[in-house]
Amino acid sequence: MAARRFPRSTTALEAVFGFVAEFLTKEGIARERAFDVDLILEELFTNMVKYSREGKEEIEISLARDADGLRLTLRDFNVDRFDVTATPDVDTSRPISERKAGGLGLHLVRRIADRFEYDYRDRVSTITVWKRL
Amino acid sequence: MFEIRFVNSSQVKLVGRLDASQAENAAAALKSLSGSATADCSELEYISSAGIGVLIETFKRLRDLGHTLTLANMTPRVRNVFAYAGLDKVLRIE
Repeated sequence: MAARRFPRSTTALEAVFGFVAEFLTKEGIARERAFDVDLILEELFTNMVKYSREGKEEIEISLARDADGLRLTLRDFNVDRFDVTATPDVDTSRPISERKAGGLGLHLVRRIADRFEYDYRDRVSTITVWKRL
Repeated sequence: MFEIRFVNSSQVKLVGRLDASQAENAAAALKSLSGSATADCSELEYISSAGIGVLIETFKRLRDLGHTLTLANMTPRVRNVFAYAGLDKVLRIE
């Protein structure tokens, strides 16, 4: 398992993607797998940055390999509860004039991830995502 | 790294990774399009919801002016993201 903390800013994304690339290389996982992992982490990380504005601490991302694939965990410290798994899905049948980017990130995570869980205790938000390889 | 190369007034090329850290700059650059345009996505390596949001807004702005934005030559991975977003049938993708 590898874990690292990142400043709560979208400017940290390059470092997040670098962390993923480093982990996949170390685990001998094909580079093309990075696309989905990057996308899941970007959407969840930027969601924490945008919606947990009271948070001041860095966000921790950990990556682990298990029997089925990858387990991605994001932890946001000293924040209010925000259950990302409970947000409504985007209605993709709506015409383009009614479509906005808002909510699309979590919609993409639901499509790409195999499983997606939220836990909140002691003011720590933890999102865990499983992605089969 | 992300870059928008302006080939001419109706053709742009999106190059690199269009993530949330690049979305604001991309939106500002695409505002210079004022007529129907094609965005070549053959070298667009990655896109997230933030990047898709920029393209949706550009598409809608041009459409309101009576023009179109065509997204061309997407790689299969990028195209999949548009499909997951339910936008592959709504936006003009070639």
